[in-house]
Amino acid sequence: MTDRPLLEINDLWVTYWGRSLLGLSGRPFHAVKGANLSIRPGETLGLVGESGSGKSSIANTVLGLVPAAGGSMRFGDEDLAGMGTRYPSNVRKQIQAVFQDPYSSLNPSMTVEEIVTEPLRVHTTMGRSERRQRAVELLELVSLSREHLERHPHQFSGGQRQRIAIASALALQPRLIVLDEPVSALDVSTQNQIINLLYERRDALGIAYLLIAHDLALVHHISDRIAVMYLGHIVEEGPSDRVYRRPAHPYTKALLDAVPLLDPQAQRARRAARKAAPAIDAPRVSTTGCPYQNRCPHVMPRCQTEMPPAYAVDGGGTASCFLHADRPAVLPASGTGKAA
Amino acid sequence: MFRLIAHRLLALVPLLLIVSVLTFSFTSLLPSDPVDLILGDTGTQEQHEMLRERLGLNEPVVVRYFQWLGRAAQGDLGTSFFNSVSVTSAVMQRLPVTLSLTFVSALIAIIVGVAAGIAAALRPRSWVDRFATLGATIGQAIPNFWFGLILVAVFAVSLRWFPATGFTPISTSPWEWLRSVTLPSIALGLSSSAAIARQVRSAMVGVLQQDYIRAARAQGLSTRRVIFRHALTNAMIPVVAVLSFQITVLLGGALIVEQVFAINGLGTLAITAVRQQDIPMLQGLVLVMVALVVVVQLATDVIYGLLNPKARPS
Amino acid sequence: MNPSSASHIRPVPRRFRWRLNATSVITVTTVSVLVLLALLAIFADWLAPYNPLQQNLIKALQGPSAQHWLGTDDLGRDVLSRLIYGCRIAIIAAAEATAIAIILGVPLGLFIGYKGGWWDWVVMRMVEAIVSIPGIMVAIVIIALLGPGLHRAMIALGILFSTSFLRLARGVVLAEREEVYVRSARVVGAPDSRILLRHILPNIAPPLIVQVTLTVGAVLLAEAGLSFIGLGVQPPNASWGTMLNTAAAYMDLNWFLAIPPGLAIIVTVLSVNLLGDVIRDSIGRGIAVGPRSETATASTDTDVPAAGAAANPLPPREDEVLRVEGLRVVVGEGAGVPVITDLSFGISRGETMGLVGESGSGKTMTGLAILGLMSAGLRTTQGSIVLNGKDLRTLSRRQIEQVRGNEVAMVFQDPTTSLNPAFTVGSQIAEVLRTRQGLSQKQAWARVVELIDRVGIPRPEERARAYPHELSGGMAQRIAIARALSCNPSLLIADEPTTALDVTVQQEILDLFRDLQDEFGMAILFVTHDLAVAADICDRISVMYAGEMVETAEVGALFASPRHPYTRGLLSAMPHASDRNPPLPTIRGNVPRPGSWPTGCRFSNRCDFRIAACEARVPLTGTDRLVRCIRADELQLERAS
Repeated sequence: MTDRPLLEINDLWVTYWGRSLLGLSGRPFHAVKGANLSIRPGETLGLVGESGSGKSSIANTVLGLVPAAGGSMRFGDEDLAGMGTRYPSNVRKQIQAVFQDPYSSLNPSMTVEEIVTEPLRVHTTMGRSERRQRAVELLELVSLSREHLERHPHQFSGGQRQRIAIASALALQPRLIVLDEPVSALDVSTQNQIINLLYERRDALGIAYLLIAHDLALVHHISDRIAVMYLGHIVEEGPSDRVYRRPAHPYTKALLDAVPLLDPQAQRARRAARKAAPAIDAPRVSTTGCPYQNRCPHVMPRCQTEMPPAYAVDGGGTASCFLHADRPAVLPASGTGKAA
Repeated sequence: MFRLIAHRLLALVPLLLIVSVLTFSFTSLLPSDPVDLILGDTGTQEQHEMLRERLGLNEPVVVRYFQWLGRAAQGDLGTSFFNSVSVTSAVMQRLPVTLSLTFVSALIAIIVGVAAGIAAALRPRSWVDRFATLGATIGQAIPNFWFGLILVAVFAVSLRWFPATGFTPISTSPWEWLRSVTLPSIALGLSSSAAIARQVRSAMVGVLQQDYIRAARAQGLSTRRVIFRHALTNAMIPVVAVLSFQITVLLGGALIVEQVFAINGLGTLAITAVRQQDIPMLQGLVLVMVALVVVVQLATDVIYGLLNPKARPS
Repeated sequence: MNPSSASHIRPVPRRFRWRLNATSVITVTTVSVLVLLALLAIFADWLAPYNPLQQNLIKALQGPSAQHWLGTDDLGRDVLSRLIYGCRIAIIAAAEATAIAIILGVPLGLFIGYKGGWWDWVVMRMVEAIVSIPGIMVAIVIIALLGPGLHRAMIALGILFSTSFLRLARGVVLAEREEVYVRSARVVGAPDSRILLRHILPNIAPPLIVQVTLTVGAVLLAEAGLSFIGLGVQPPNASWGTMLNTAAAYMDLNWFLAIPPGLAIIVTVLSVNLLGDVIRDSIGRGIAVGPRSETATASTDTDVPAAGAAANPLPPREDEVLRVEGLRVVVGEGAGVPVITDLSFGISRGETMGLVGESGSGKTMTGLAILGLMSAGLRTTQGSIVLNGKDLRTLSRRQIEQVRGNEVAMVFQDPTTSLNPAFTVGSQIAEVLRTRQGLSQKQAWARVVELIDRVGIPRPEERARAYPHELSGGMAQRIAIARALSCNPSLLIADEPTTALDVTVQQEILDLFRDLQDEFGMAILFVTHDLAVAADICDRISVMYAGEMVETAEVGALFASPRHPYTRGLLSAMPHASDRNPPLPTIRGNVPRPGSWPTGCRFSNRCDFRIAACEARVPLTGTDRLVRCIRADELQLERAS
């Protein structure tokens, strides 16, 4: 690993425009409000958040499926944000993706060979036999074999389809793969097979992952760093173990506490504690300040007026919360660059 | 409710404008010069020029369009090239005839179609379903005017239950009106009822598989209630969405079926106008028909909004 | 097993086979009709007995005879010959108009669909405008421009029908553009042209073929209509429409004239439409992957009753609300493919029992089977479901409707689809109260507000008037719970009620279940795939795998010492089970689908402890806790040591 980031995102905004009656532009919706992230070569960054947190918007923007509305995204020497949704071939080759639903992410009318070699056709001048050769190699990388080449996606189980999707993503030997909830549509007993596969391939090929998921425990297993998103803001970021074991932001803590434990006794104790805790007052309606103020047990007057900057946290990383105001601010408050 | 109507109304304005432009430009593209058509080879150069001036044909196209549109908005659709009859009065005179046919046939199509569609959907693959589906398939293959001919042969000529031809206005005698529109409306409504039956069936089959139907049944609501309240309300949403199209089809079909029953409606007017290339008449006819369709569409849009809360303006 | 249940095994219906035959009969018939039509058109000059234009006024308006099989028309022309030549016109007409419609419509539709923006807006408004004019009127206007005649009329119809091809092509592009695999192709970097041609265009073929058949039918009808009113084919040429025009004038003299051309049109249009239906159905069928019944027989009828189940049935537990005994559910006709076999369990008042398993384990099906609400094609063939002393399988439809809601209610996985989108949430709860408990409108509404408040929703009066789509997932699920509890049922079946929700919301809903159970005292059958959720909410857990129960135990015991290898594998595979870095523990292979279960122990092909004896069916054994594994005791010792 070098210190130079492979992907560096600064103050990224992603905005969707609603459509009004006559097809004219309507109200803007900011899905991502000034996010900062960086991934080094070969590193895995886990991006965690609940539905509507903006994590998939970041994934789609990095992939060039959705244009950035503001901020910068540097990939090596290239400025992705400036390219909108038109990445040149040399950039496209280096950023690939695996999506959540293996049932809809594979074209039902194509064979496995066609799916796996599609990137090769687009970006290389390989001949047919050469491509077939490569397809077999790729299938073997994901524990499938030559006999599967001629089959169609509907003949495979969910786990096998996800393997095919991974093989296709590996075809061009990319430097970054965006994994958008890669196992959440799979059965529990096959999830770990895919996680192990992703892990092995990463170590063997030195690929960096941007792993989008809602399950902190799962992300913790394979990420080097974790970033937590809430309502378009990155509220905490840091080394995987530190975030998982010593969450610094109240939201991260709430997220971890909400994951049911496999131990019924511990779970019972936790529920009792939850009941004993004082209920948070009726939601305060405030459009300024910290996005988490309405649900935060530690809310202070300051949180309602000011957006907290990212403060450094013991053990590495940052948290955007005034509880850590005694520490130096590393980054300015997100979402202040533009009026939301 | 008011917001809903206003919202829909607003959305229909561009449609009407575009139709008017299309209508006007199409009919202005007619290959032959209307002046030649009217005067033929007779008449002097001067007469030609005078008529040209009188018809306003010397103005640029854009100016003519706005003049025409402005007059049309006030209810003046111009004058026929051939018998100097006002287009508005000619159309209005025959409108009730065609409207009667369209209205009664739409009623028949909706009642028969919805009933058959529900009956078929409740027991997929049963004999009821097969019978309804087969009936609908055949119904859609029968030309309405041919069916009209057969109805005339059987019920008017042989059995003499209904008049074979002609139309009695409802103001003259409601009973005779009903007798005069029954056969044409059945002929006209057949294929639409078949189409509606198929749509209702497929929508209903789809809705009956939804979670909320299962949830309603899990609450112990009676089958009748689940079907008629929970399923039908949702199944009618896609059906209503295409209902205005079906009514448009009926309006067009009426033009032909009128010929079978020698009913003097908009159809006869249109056919005569085509043969004579009577531009103002054709323009007026299209505009009136579109206005009718727009009213129907507005009505179905409002019903759609009432059935589907997601379609209401927030 | 319950001997009375034998009467529930239905006779073998043969509908399925009949339907397949019907489909092939239709295909063969329609194709033959269309081929015959084509042959008549091509060889009309040889096949027609007379010249279709040859007049013979002496023989005018004759009925069928040996010389003129279908009689003669007003000018004494042979009807049969005119009918045969009419085939030619019909085919030319259909081909011409359909081709024009496709050539105009498809490329433009693809273009505006992919391009979007202003192009799309302008073209679509024009299409809407054309569609809002009755089709025949559009054709009339175009004919006014071009003049009457077959080819001109067909150009008119081609333009008219191009709007439907345009909308079809655009619709396909818009739908496919959102597909994840098209997104994948864009990530790969495929250029627009390649995405359009390679990824999107192939998907247009099936609906396009169906649309072609529909258009051909519509063109034939429209051509006949236009010719009938004299704007299409011009006399004396023979088309079916002009023949009907003639017939109409002589209906009172010779009504038979109308029959041959009419039937010709009907049979042709019917054939084309039926062929379109067959094509559409076969496209739909090709993708569906269901259980295959041919492989099923191997594992089906070897059902061994659980050891002891037949001899000494499981002792009923104290205060039992529900007892399921020897339940078997199958899918498909005949003996069917089993999806649940030999399932027995009971739930006591105030107890929460978890039913845990992966997809295809039959856990959700069990909940639906209790309510008698399984999808079409699924049925219970054996066993009993006794709720409050009544066997639900023996009840009539009316009786079971009385039980549902009052004694057993259900909460579904996706709250946004399990509430009816057309009604306010309050009215959906009120409806249950009014129909099931006979409350007045006013009483019901007061109770609705009370219930909504009870499930922890602020401002209940206001929320009661909201529609489901206006609520968040967690809020909607609370409403669904309120509705389920409105009649105070003794059993609540919760089918993955938190799976569709965010984890912080899940926690709130689980707490709500606990609180409500303390208050209402109902038994809960909690169906989930997530063992951790089950650990939180359940008192007792049954683990299901491939349609059968493999282990049942009190929640503490199950997590402390799982006995079945599958339970153990599942537990160690849970994301939060270990802190280790990868490789994470896995269970090899995939969950088998119903119909392809191994013959013996259904987990045997994925089990690390498999021995030869696992080839035989394994009974559920044990007293306080049950396990379906012949090596359970042995493995237990091994683990302990």
